[in-house]
Amino acid sequence: MSNVIGIIRALNSGVKHLAVKRFTLRYPEQKLKFVGDGFQFNPETGVGIAGLRGRHILFHEHCTGCQLCSVACEGIAEAISMVKVHETWKHNKKAIMPQIDYGKCVFCGLCVDACPFYALYMTNDYELSSFTKSALIYTPAQLAIQPKISQDVEIKIDDRGASHG
Amino acid sequence: MTTQLPPGMHIETVDEKIMTLNVGPQHPGSGHMRLIIKVDGDYIVSCDPDPGYVHRGEEKMAEYRNYIQNIPHLERPVIHDSSNILYPYCLGVEELLGIEVPERAKYIRVIAAELNRCIYILYWLAIYGIFLGHSTMFMWPAGDRELFIDLLEAMSGARVTHAYLVPGGVRNDLPSNFEERCLRQVEYFEKRLREYEAIFYQNPILKARTEGSGILSRTDAIRLGTTGSVLRASGVDFDVRKKEPYDVYENLDFQTIVMKEGDSYARSRIPYLEMFESCRIIKDALKKMPKSGSVRTKLKPNPKGGNDEVYRRIESGRGAIGYYIVSNNRPEPYRVKISVGSFRNLICMPYLLKGEKLGNMPAVYWGLNYWPVEADR
Repeated sequence: MSNVIGIIRALNSGVKHLAVKRFTLRYPEQKLKFVGDGFQFNPETGVGIAGLRGRHILFHEHCTGCQLCSVACEGIAEAISMVKVHETWKHNKKAIMPQIDYGKCVFCGLCVDACPFYALYMTNDYELSSFTKSALIYTPAQLAIQPKISQDVEIKIDDRGASHG
Repeated sequence: MTTQLPPGMHIETVDEKIMTLNVGPQHPGSGHMRLIIKVDGDYIVSCDPDPGYVHRGEEKMAEYRNYIQNIPHLERPVIHDSSNILYPYCLGVEELLGIEVPERAKYIRVIAAELNRCIYILYWLAIYGIFLGHSTMFMWPAGDRELFIDLLEAMSGARVTHAYLVPGGVRNDLPSNFEERCLRQVEYFEKRLREYEAIFYQNPILKARTEGSGILSRTDAIRLGTTGSVLRASGVDFDVRKKEPYDVYENLDFQTIVMKEGDSYARSRIPYLEMFESCRIIKDALKKMPKSGSVRTKLKPNPKGGNDEVYRRIESGRGAIGYYIVSNNRPEPYRVKISVGSFRNLICMPYLLKGEKLGNMPAVYWGLNYWPVEADR
C-alpha cells in the first residue's frame, strides 16, 4: 500500500509541472543576454574584465605585431599565426598581425591576457559556424569588425518558476 | 594437437552456462570504457573493468607547457567539473612559486568550485535517472543545470570549460550585479531541489532497484581506497574540505553528509544532499566575501619554480583530486601526477557486481561516480 502512495506522490509532483512555465530557451528566436561587451584584460593591474569569451576583436591602431598572443597560444591550441598586412603603422614596422583559426581555438582567452597593448579583446559573438574549413580562418581585417549581436533574454524567476524571458 | 600461443595470451575455457558480455566501449551509456561481464542466466558471476580507451597523456603534456599554458588542457578530463580539477593545480603551483592569493580571490574560487560541483552533480544525476529509465529525472537536472551554467558564464565568460582559476587567484573580477543574481538563482534552485525528493528519491520503483544492491561495507571501502561520495555512503566521515581545509573552507558553514547503508541508494543520495550543502557554502561565501579588492596577483612572465615538489588535494564531485607537481628551475614543471577519484572508485566494480542481477548493473556502475575520461587522464 505504501508503494502505491509513493508512486501516486511521484506522479503528482510531475503532474504539478504541467502548469509551470517552460524553461527551455527557444534559441534562434531568443538569444541570451551576456554581461558586458566580452572578455577584456587590463595589463596594468593584470586582472581581466568579466564578459563572454567569444570571437576576438583586433584593434589595428594598437597592435604592434609583438607576437605575444601567438606565443601564448603555442602550447594551447596553435590557432594564432602572424600574417602580413598591407597597412602602414608607425608602431608596427614589421606589419604583421594575428590571424585566428577558429577550427582550432578553444576560447580560453589567454591570448587576451598576454596582450600588453590593449589590442586584442574578445566579443559576444559566438555564432561562428560555416560551411567550409577555410571560412573559419579569420584574417586581421575580419577580426577588426565589431560584431552586431541581438541580446534580449535572461533567466527570470517568479512564482510560476524560472523561464527565459 | 597443441597450438603455440604468443606469450601473455591464453585460450579461455568456456563454460556452457556462463556467457561473456562486453558492455562498452561504444558508449551505450557506459562512457568510453568496457566492462567484461560474465553472466549465469541473469546473475553476474564476475566483472572485469577495462579502462584506458580515452587516455590522452595529460601528465606528459603538462611537462612541455609552462605553468599558465597548462590551464586549458588540464581541465579537459572533466569539462563538467573544470574548476575543481584545476583547483589543486593552482594551489600546488602557488606553493611552488610562492604566490600570495588575495582574500577576495579565495572566496571567488570557492564560489566557482561549488557552482561547478553542482553542475557536475546535476549532470551525473541526469544520467543516473536515464540509466534507470526515469526520463523526467533526466530532463529536470539537465534543465536546472542551466541556472549554474548561467552564473559561471557571467563569472568566467565560458559555459563549460571555464579556465577561470589561475595560480595567483582568478582571471577576472565578478560582474557588477553578480551577488544578487547568484543569491536569487541559488535560492530558487534549493526550492527546486526539494521537488526531486518525491519524484525520484522517495519513489518506490527507484528504492526497489537500488536499496540493498551493491553493498560496500565500511572496512571494504577503506581497504579498497575509495574516495568521495562512495566512501561517505559506507559510513566513513571523510571530506577533504573538512579534514584539510584549503583556501577559506574553514571559515564557511557546512556539514559532511554521511550515510551508513553503503548500498546503491545511499551512493545516489549523498551527492543530492551535498548539493544543499554547496548552496549553503555559496550563500555563506557571498555574505563573508570582502566587497572589493584585488582578485589576482600579478605574475612575472614565465615564472619558474625552484627545485621543489608539492602535493595538494581538494574534494571534487567525484572524490579527492590530488596533484603532485615537481619543478626543477624551469618554466615548465618537471612532472605532474594527477590522482583522481574516478580511477580509485573503479576498483570496487568487481566486488560490488558479483552476485548482482544484470539489470542492477547501471545503478551500481553510475553510483560509483566514475568518469571514464577523468580516470584515463
